Amino acid sequence: MKRAGKLCLVFLLIVLSTTGCWNLREPDQLAFALGTALDLTKDGLVEASVQIAIPSGVGGGQDSGGGMNKKSFRVISANGKNAYDTIPILQAQLSRNLFFGHRKVILIGQHMAEHGIGNLLDEFVRNPQSELRSRIYVVKDGQGKDVLSVEPIFEPFTSTSLVSEQTSLNLKHYYFHDFLTVTLSQGMQPMLPAVSLTALKQIVYTGSAILNKDDGLKLAGFLNIKESSYANWITGRQTGFAITSFVTQGDGNVSLKLQSLGRRIRVKRVNERILIDVQLIGKGNIVENNTNLDPTKLKDLYIIQDELSQTTQKSIQQLIEKVQKRYKTDIFGFGESVHQQYPQQWKTLKRTWNDTFSKLHVSVKVELQCKDPGETNSSIMSMP
Amino acid sequence: MDLFRKSHLKNKLKTNINQSIENSSSNISKNIAENEKFLKNMFQNCSDIIFREITIHGETKLLLIYVDGMINTDIIITNILKPLMYDGMPQGLGTIDSIVQMCGQELFSVLQTKKLSKLGDIAEHILKGNLAILADGEDTALLSNVSKFKTRAVEEPYNEASIRGPKEGFTELLRTNTTMLRRILTTPKLKIESLKIGKLLQTDVVIAYIEGIVSMSVLNEVRKRINRIQIEGILESGYIEESIEETHLSPFPQMNVTERPDVVAAGLLRGKVAVISNGSPCALVIPVTFWEGLQAPDDYYERFMFVSLIRWVRYIFVFFSVLFPSVYIALTNYHIELIPLKLMMTIATLRERDPFPTMIEVFMMEFVFEGLREAGIRLPKQIGPLVSIVGALVIGEAAVRAGLISAPIVIVVAAAGISSFIIPRYRFGYPLRMLRFPLLMLSGTFGLFGLAIGMIAILIHLIHLSPFGTPYLTPVTPQITRRLKDVLMRWPRKRAIHNEPNNEVDQP
Repeated sequence: MKRAGKLCLVFLLIVLSTTGCWNLREPDQLAFALGTALDLTKDGLVEASVQIAIPSGVGGGQDSGGGMNKKSFRVISANGKNAYDTIPILQAQLSRNLFFGHRKVILIGQHMAEHGIGNLLDEFVRNPQSELRSRIYVVKDGQGKDVLSVEPIFEPFTSTSLVSEQTSLNLKHYYFHDFLTVTLSQGMQPMLPAVSLTALKQIVYTGSAILNKDDGLKLAGFLNIKESSYANWITGRQTGFAITSFVTQGDGNVSLKLQSLGRRIRVKRVNERILIDVQLIGKGNIVENNTNLDPTKLKDLYIIQDELSQTTQKSIQQLIEKVQKRYKTDIFGFGESVHQQYPQQWKTLKRTWNDTFSKLHVSVKVELQCKDPGETNSSIMSMP
Repeated sequence: MDLFRKSHLKNKLKTNINQSIENSSSNISKNIAENEKFLKNMFQNCSDIIFREITIHGETKLLLIYVDGMINTDIIITNILKPLMYDGMPQGLGTIDSIVQMCGQELFSVLQTKKLSKLGDIAEHILKGNLAILADGEDTALLSNVSKFKTRAVEEPYNEASIRGPKEGFTELLRTNTTMLRRILTTPKLKIESLKIGKLLQTDVVIAYIEGIVSMSVLNEVRKRINRIQIEGILESGYIEESIEETHLSPFPQMNVTERPDVVAAGLLRGKVAVISNGSPCALVIPVTFWEGLQAPDDYYERFMFVSLIRWVRYIFVFFSVLFPSVYIALTNYHIELIPLKLMMTIATLRERDPFPTMIEVFMMEFVFEGLREAGIRLPKQIGPLVSIVGALVIGEAAVRAGLISAPIVIVVAAAGISSFIIPRYRFGYPLRMLRFPLLMLSGTFGLFGLAIGMIAILIHLIHLSPFGTPYLTPVTPQITRRLKDVLMRWPRKRAIHNEPNNEVDQP
């Protein structure tokens, strides 16, 4: 008993003396930074904007009093030589300490992305106060600062609405640390989700931005929403999406809602040439049928499945070709597959992987399966 | 001066006691006047002791001594006075040399009688409600048990309510309590050893156990410690508890206190030892483990599935009640990243108007809560509800509205406080409520590190504690797998359908 007491005292003293961790922070002494936007000024400086939550404006309690008309957030900006250089200037504008522990998004403006963000990454990793679970977005045709200032529809903050948007798009969460993993890997190039602002100041998801890490993480180009979902299917980031395609035999469109996506990438070596074999399996339900085919009949169902698979396969092949020829960046992670399956050969291949990738022979096989023909049999229109 | 007087008084009292002890060990004399004089001297200024002289045929003098109000007067009249005064002696006087013997054997043979010759013993029996009959020329006194006095009826123990199960509770009278126990455990193996504790009061105390089941080491230890008790007298079993417990320096109770005979019987069937003292309805069951403290009597009377669920609810609430306020402090003040954003925003919003640091707020509210609880217990029943209304409305609602305390604090403190009441054995809630304060201090200074250190310290203490040689956390540590099933859930009894022999003692 006595010994236990002494032991506790010793532990306490050790904690007190070695860590010196008196870092008590009351929530009302903190300025919660919910989002950071990085833009490039005309002078070539980094412009960092931070979205600060104003708790009294959120109105969590009934007793917020006269603060009803208060905004729930404010965006402040500062210019600096690098990312951290802006923080003291940002802090100078605030009466409370900036707190990045709850940062939900990092937005990168298009100019910044074109300039390359390779130099900015270091601060996010090195600074212990940084939050690696932030989602990362590229802002197409605009500045990150503008996106942060938008009043979202549902939530009090843009940052949190951008988080929920990923879930509603059936995307796996793209965290900043995922971006880091890809950037630090050998055979894969980063592909970040992209948003843009409409004329009515609304945020829309516009697909993905491709960065080239061998060129200082400069923006290589954008993919549209459809292409992004195909690319994300191959990398395993998509959990589901809908395909609508024309079925010639039925003379109409069929919509298939995919809910289970599978993929397999196999690497073959034939005479020193590398062949990539991508096999994609998607399972889903038919949600709309404008054809005169009856999906409850097995024969018709096969026709729909085959045609949908064919067109999807063609689109994916086109996408891969486009990425190979135009962007020359391996966003699909084929290099990683080669690395895993032929580690010896990879040592020589990795130096010239970008060139190899653009000339790579990729065969795609898509297999779509309709698990459920829907609540009715043939199309309503074609019913007798 | 005052101090001196007190010690002086004590010394005087001591010498008095010593004198009476010296005299009381002497035998009574044949001369009844001498005996009367001695006893009257002993019961000086005791107005409730009645000396009644009886003359039969103008010859033999009898002396009846009893405590007024403790004797059944009907029995005295019909069974003692009537035969003596009116019926006369059966064979005429003079032929029988011992009137006491005659009375005992023939006149009052319906009564429970005893012959004693030591003055001290006689005095003690008189005080316990016996009638003493002294006869002239005899050197023994006849004591008959005709006591009848007012006691509380057997009621349901409302501190230990149960939905299912026996509803009777112990009373203040030791004999009633042992009867209740004997009625449940109808076996000659139930042993009820009688002891007297206290230099002055000589309180009756019994040690009850079941021979063959009881753990001999615990029994011997209990006997040894009870015999060592140096105390003037015992008013409540709490005196014994404090005198024989393993260590004073533990917030955790080391024995179970119950007013229910079924709980005592269950404990005895599990090899425990019960100590019941006269004048107290609370029996001690020795030893107790941490897990038994979280069990309710009707755990074993209800069906097992529901009880197992409720046990887990209790375990969770025990942790909740100890940790909730300190975890709240640690998270909101040190580990803000760990709270989901929406919750954090709500907390931050509600905190905007608060004048005090979170730490102070929680301490204030905990203090007020404990005060309200204490006030609720002590107040008369009619005023009791008023306290809860004032407490809930004034302290909770008004303080939040006025912006003195933030709403989450009220929720945290109230939730933790209420969850400490979920523990069926009321006194096992005491350590939980006490330990909340040091843990608050630790988490307020070091965050989750402090909390972890506090928890480790509590665990070390619990593992270290082993009252009467039984580790407090058995059967979890040291692990006894066979008994573990009664901690993790309430294991059902075997069904009788299969005609399997069931030798296991599966009692509460």
